[in-house]
Amino acid sequence: MELRKYIGRRLVQVVIIFFVILTVLFLLFRLAPGDPVSRMVDPDMTPEDAHRLKVELGLDKPLGIQYLVYLKNFFTGHFGYSFHYGEPVVNIIWSRLPNTVLLFTTSIILSALVGVFLGKIASWHKGKKTDSILTIGALVTHTLFLPWLALIMIWLFSYKFGWFPITGMISEDVWLDPDSGFIAKSLDVMYHMVLPLSTLFLIHFGAYLLIMRSSMLETLKEDYILTARAKGLEEKVIRDHHAAPNAALPVVTSVGLSLAFSINGGALTETVFTWPGIGRELVFSVSQNDYPLAQASFLLIAAVVLVSNVVVDVLYAYLDPRIRY
Amino acid sequence: MTVRERFPLLNSFLDGWSIFKQSLLGRIGLVLLILFALMAVCSYIPPLIDPMYNPMTGVDPAITCCTPPGMRHWLGTDFMGRDILSQLLAGARVAFMVGISAAVMSIVLGVAIGMTAGYMGRFIDTLLMRLADMIMVMPTLLVVLILAAVFGQLNIWTIVLIIALFRWPGVSRIIRGQTLSLKQRPFIEAAKVAGASHSRIIFQHIMPNVLPLAFLFMTFRVTSAIITEAALAFLGFGDPGTVSWGMMLQWVWKTGHMFKAPYWLLPPGICISLITLSFYMLGRAMDEVLDPRLRKEDQTD
Repeated sequence: MELRKYIGRRLVQVVIIFFVILTVLFLLFRLAPGDPVSRMVDPDMTPEDAHRLKVELGLDKPLGIQYLVYLKNFFTGHFGYSFHYGEPVVNIIWSRLPNTVLLFTTSIILSALVGVFLGKIASWHKGKKTDSILTIGALVTHTLFLPWLALIMIWLFSYKFGWFPITGMISEDVWLDPDSGFIAKSLDVMYHMVLPLSTLFLIHFGAYLLIMRSSMLETLKEDYILTARAKGLEEKVIRDHHAAPNAALPVVTSVGLSLAFSINGGALTETVFTWPGIGRELVFSVSQNDYPLAQASFLLIAAVVLVSNVVVDVLYAYLDPRIRY
Repeated sequence: MTVRERFPLLNSFLDGWSIFKQSLLGRIGLVLLILFALMAVCSYIPPLIDPMYNPMTGVDPAITCCTPPGMRHWLGTDFMGRDILSQLLAGARVAFMVGISAAVMSIVLGVAIGMTAGYMGRFIDTLLMRLADMIMVMPTLLVVLILAAVFGQLNIWTIVLIIALFRWPGVSRIIRGQTLSLKQRPFIEAAKVAGASHSRIIFQHIMPNVLPLAFLFMTFRVTSAIITEAALAFLGFGDPGTVSWGMMLQWVWKTGHMFKAPYWLLPPGICISLITLSFYMLGRAMDEVLDPRLRKEDQTD
């Protein structure tokens, strides 16, 4: 019951924050120097089409009315038309969302799992060689400059060795072939995902490793670990069943706190590997002055960040019964 | 009275230094940073030797495409015949400039807002902290991108300012927590009874106690500012008038030389990664100085 109330409160917060972002974005796009009409209406449109769109978006009305129209359009899914693609923006971003979610969640889950596992090992061998190697390795990979790492990955594994495709998410010959079934297509996507996923993984696992390590070292000082030792339990049991689950909690928090950082990284990775996701679409649309697309991609990313934050917090509250908000 | 006793600030600095010295990570980080600082200082030399070594406008008349390292150009040249070493040195200057100015601004903001929220409490506290929550979840790089979409080309100081405006919440949360616990201490009560004003209590009594922590956060803010600027430049939204390491990577990438010219691709990336690593190590070592718990843990083993 408590938990449900907490979730409810967090969701209300998210809605309020989202409204603020929505409003700030509206004001930015309308009040910034330059012509707001040119930002929402494709300069290549015929005058009649442009006029129709202007009326649809309420650009001929006072600011207050424009804001209401903007909200109404937002809730009915009208984001205008992309200048570059000439399609409704909403279609474009919906088709990109699954690709981003796929790459992003896989990389976060993978790096958190491996980071927790290696952090556990490092703390267990504290002060020994294993610990030094893992800690220094984590520090070094975590501080690598992501776009550069991505370029190096492409240079090494696609260009020098030729093991993986240089860019993209699918091979056309596999997807256009009517004979290839679901499995062949999935394998194709996985094959394309190896390099971007490894890039994100290399950058992120180090942070989780370091957090898990220090959290483990704190946990091992607790009284219940002493009790477990006094009971004569095996060291492995103490490590894996008594200490690790408790020590892993801060990692969950850090996943939440580093989400914004990971999203930045995701956008960079998508751009370098031309992975057709939202982040790449945002970068691309900004460089093309495709304002409606840029605005909608940003809003979607903001929504994803906000919702994931709530998911992480709820997960935390669920995992740690001592915490109730 | 010894010199140490006469200057309490110097004394605490020397105490901190003696702990800092013991940390291997801290020493490595400091040495690396000094090297980068030297690079930044040396960046003024090449253009003085010959105008062709100017990182932005200098073009070697004898060269028309990118060339591998040689006697004339120690690290080779880029596709226009500009010297890569001079660009790398200039990049160090930009990195320090961006990193330190953005960090100082965001720390000043964070400390001021954190102390205000913690000290004033109630409505102001809630308002400021909700604002912090909101800004904290925003991915800074993408925020700068969307601002670049609206305002067009951003210059380097605007970028620094935006980074600072979006990176204060982490600091202010920690400072707020510290302020809340300080507020309960008797010396604050005493100051209140003695009739000290709010601003006097905040700046004279609370600030000195939270500053060391703010200083620690500064090292992390420096790295995040450097990375954000580099990423922005890499994506092609940097200040076209500055030669930063991110800008160099953008040139390699966009001109399609990444497969042909590893001598051009490697140095800027290594520099960004190493400067991040060194500030990070410095931060961890300072963490040990400020947090006695961490220190004890290391001493017992």
